This record gives sequence, C-alpha cells and structure tokens, in this order.
Amino acid sequence: MRVIIAEDSTLLREGLVRLLAEEGHEVVAAFGDADGLPEAVDRHGPDAVVVDIRMPPTHTDEGLRAALAIRERRPETGVLVLSQHVERTYAAQLLAGGAEGIGYLLKDRVAQVEEFLDALERIRAGHAVIDPEVVRQLMGRTTRTDPLTRLTPRERDVLEVLAQGHTNAGISERLHLSLSAVEKHLNAVFDKLDLPRTTGHNRRILAVLRYLEA
Amino acid sequence: MLLGCASALAGLLYLAVAGAVLGPCLLWPRTRPRAGAALSAGARRIAAVDRRRRTALFDDRFPLHHTPQDAQVVRYVAQRAYSGTVTAVTLALLAFGVVLAGVFAAAVVTGRVGAVELLWQFLLGGALLFLGVQGLRSLYALDARLARDTFGPSERELLRRRIDELATSRAAVVHAVDAERRRIERDLHDGLQQRLVALAMLLGRARRPGRTPEQADALLRQAHEESLAVLTELREVAWRVYPSALDGLGLREALGGVAERSPVPLRLSYAVPHTLPGPVETAAYFVVSEAVTNAAKHAAATTVTVELSVRAGVLGVSVRDDGSGGADPAGTGLSGLRGRVEALDGRLRVDSPAGGPTTVTAELPCA
Repeated sequence: MRVIIAEDSTLLREGLVRLLAEEGHEVVAAFGDADGLPEAVDRHGPDAVVVDIRMPPTHTDEGLRAALAIRERRPETGVLVLSQHVERTYAAQLLAGGAEGIGYLLKDRVAQVEEFLDALERIRAGHAVIDPEVVRQLMGRTTRTDPLTRLTPRERDVLEVLAQGHTNAGISERLHLSLSAVEKHLNAVFDKLDLPRTTGHNRRILAVLRYLEA
Repeated sequence: MLLGCASALAGLLYLAVAGAVLGPCLLWPRTRPRAGAALSAGARRIAAVDRRRRTALFDDRFPLHHTPQDAQVVRYVAQRAYSGTVTAVTLALLAFGVVLAGVFAAAVVTGRVGAVELLWQFLLGGALLFLGVQGLRSLYALDARLARDTFGPSERELLRRRIDELATSRAAVVHAVDAERRRIERDLHDGLQQRLVALAMLLGRARRPGRTPEQADALLRQAHEESLAVLTELREVAWRVYPSALDGLGLREALGGVAERSPVPLRLSYAVPHTLPGPVETAAYFVVSEAVTNAAKHAAATTVTVELSVRAGVLGVSVRDDGSGGADPAGTGLSGLRGRVEALDGRLRVDSPAGGPTTVTAELPCA
C-alpha cells in the first residue's frame, strides 16, 4: 500500500520507512511534524497515514489534530495514530467521527513488527484498531453502572479482541473458538450493549466506541 | 498623646528659636554649613526623644541601623511641630466639649432646658465629637507615617515584606519543580523511548521471515550499535536530572563535567576557598549548566566564561558568552533558575542585549 509517515524522531521515522519498504509498501512521503501533512495527503492520496500524536512545536496533540483533518478531507484514508501513553480522551476523540479505518496504538507497539504491520493492514481494510493496552486498561476499570459489567468473561475476551480490529475469523483463531461460537458471543455482546442488529463494520465499531466511552 | 503634643511644641519652640538665631547665618553662604549642622544636631536630639516615645508608647520597632539624613530630620521635626500643634488644639476642643457637655447635663438634671433645645444641643455636640475623633484618627495615622518615613520601616512592615517575598519565592519553587519534571519527561520520551523503540524495531526486522543471513546480520549489527547509543543516552539523561558528582565530588568536579559536555569551549575560574552548603552548590550548578546550554543552543556562542567567587559570605556565579544575546529572562529555563536562586534568598540577573553578549549572574548567600 502507499503510506505517508509523520514522526518527529528521525531515528524512528527512518526505521518505519525501512520496515515498510521491506514489506513491499511504498512510503510516498515522510515528515518530522504535522504541518505539511494534510496537503501531502491531498497530493498523494495514500492508502494509510501513520502519525505520532506528540510532535513539534508544542508536543501535545498536533498529530491528533492532523489526523482528524485528514479524515475530514479524505475519509477513505486509513489513519494510524501513535501515542506515548494510553490517553482515552484522545482515542475517543479520534474515533468519534466514525471509526472505520482508524487505529490508535501505543508507540511501543511499533517495536512488535508483526503486530504493527498487521494493524496497518486491518486499518486499510476498514476496521477500527485499538491498542491491546488501552483495551486492558478499560477492562480493568469497569464500574457497577458500566454496561460492560453485564458481559460474561468469555464475551469480554471476544470484545477485547474485536476492539483490536480483528475479524470473526481472527477472533476464532486467537481465542480457539469455532466461528459459530464467536458469532454467538458477538451477538450476545451487541445485545447487551444495546447495539442495533445491522451488519458490517459499523456495529463492530460501535461496540468498540461504547467500550471506550464506558 | 499629650507627650506627643509636648514634644511637638518643644520642636516648634526649638525651630522658632533656632530659626531666629541661626536664620541669618543660614542665609550667609560662609556660615551656612555650620549653622545647618547646628540646627540639625538639635533636631536630631528632639527626633531621638520622639523615636523613643514612639517605640515605648506605640510599639513601633524601627530598624537599628537606619540613620536618616539631616534634611529629613529637620523636616520631621517641622512636620511633627505642625501635626502635634493641631493635635493639641483638637484635644483642647474635645476637652472643652466635655466640659460643656457636663454643664449642659447639669442643666438638664435641674430641668432648666426644654426638650427641643436638648435635641439641638445633642445633635450639635454629636457632630462636633465626631469631627474631633476623626481628626485625631487622621493625625495618629499621619504621625505613624512620618515616623516610618524618617526612622525607617517598622519591624511589622519588614515582616510583612518578608512574608510577601517568601510567598512569591515559594510559588516560584513549585513552578520550577513542575517545569523540571516536564523537562525530564520530555527527555525520557524524546530521547530514550524513541531509541529503545528503534532498537526493538531493528531486532524485529532482523527476525522477520524471509531474511537472508547477511541481511539479518547487518540488522543485528545496527541493533548492537543502537543499544550502545541507548546506554549513552541513559547516562546523559540521568546526569541532566541530577549530576551525582555533586554529592560525591562536589561542585568543582560537577562543573568540570559541564565543561566536558559543553559543545562550546568553556573557561572556568573557580575561586571558592571552602566547601559550600549543599543547596547552594546545587543551585550554582544548575545556574551554570542552564546558562551554558542556552549559550550553545540559542545564542550560537563560540566561547563561554564561567566565574565563581565568594565575597562577604556570598557566592557569586557569572556565566558570560559571546553569542547573539536576546535571552528572555521570563523563559521557562531562566525563570526556573530564578525561582531556585530566590528560594535561597539569592538574586539572579540576566543581561542580554540583542546582539550580545549575554551575562547571567547569580548571588547566593552561603550562610
């Protein structure tokens, strides 16, 4: 796929460029800040953009704002945002305007090369990808009023893997369940979270969002 | 109060007599200095009595080593003569009012006064009493101010100023600590974390399926080099957080470390005869290291001169560079330093005209 990278650390930027090139992807542009990003997306029309949240000048949320701007102009672009820490607010902001093809990963995830490349592929396929660490933290702080507390442990596992952007096949493979069992659990999850019985990514992403808002 | 009036009248008499006697001499240029000295010597004696009076009766604590100038003392005696006279007149009026009130009360008791007249007299007397009391209060405040202006601020005033100073410096310290923490966090993320992620990426790439042994080998070699760079980075970050040499080897050694790390040549002159208190050493260290970093990073300096010396129990630190100047004393780094220095009752000055040179000086009491 054709990718644009925005990452302020030269070292990491170079590493990402090399890694993606080795995988047969094409890096059409790489930036050290968020300034030229929207314009470059307009010009190159990449399949996906990888962007660091903290970039110069203020090192707060430049990357996030650039990501939202890109989604507004070209919603079909996959956007993968890298964050130093788990910031639920950022994740929720990012996914609020429709979560198809959006990813929020911890920066360290890049070091797990397979997972990172996998996430990029899933984002391109239109899934929402949330870092397992975000998912773990959310699972750790459920309250009594939380709809998530109504889920059985197995249903939670299923939702957790779903939130990482996996397909039903991916979930069945990871949790060693049959496909039909995965579907059964998922339907139970959607019902318990009061989600409409439509098909497609939409409902899956709603589940993830519900999960982030919990 | 009566004493005050007495001393004021004494002052008035003195000025009148001395003025009459010395007046011609004051006008005559040749005798003017001596006549002036004679006049103010007397004024000083009167003022000293008055100062004791204020200390004894009004609990004013004046600083011991504050000596007012001659002109000030003469002016004080003159002003006191005026305010004391007015006070005396006001007191006399009040006393007169009390006598009248007594006479009138007796008349009321014996029934020689009608109700209407009683009301009138009551209103009139009340208004006059109010004016008298108000006048006394203003005169009291005026006297206190005159004394403070002449004999120096009272101890209470000094304490209040000190408390203001402490509150300000305490807030600055908290602020500086936060700024430091932010800097450390940034250091860890932008330096160490990025390097570690890059290192892990190299290893991950080396282990990808489909690598030839040569490719894997090259990546591993890069990873090894990167891991050494991570170690160097870690050492640097730790040193920036707190130079451990300060504890073990002292300020001079730690400043030697700054000189070694400095990207611009650094001349260090260290004339400190004995060891300094820990907090002073730490503050001095950070003043130097911050100023040197700024000189290299922002001012594009080619040489930096650092001088430390102790004079009268105060450590003077000066860092001078030949860079482009224009340093902002309100920037995070420099205001953090100011907070650190002022917390030790020291002073920090930044002199940085556009075009340079920049001089940062700190004075740190070593008591």
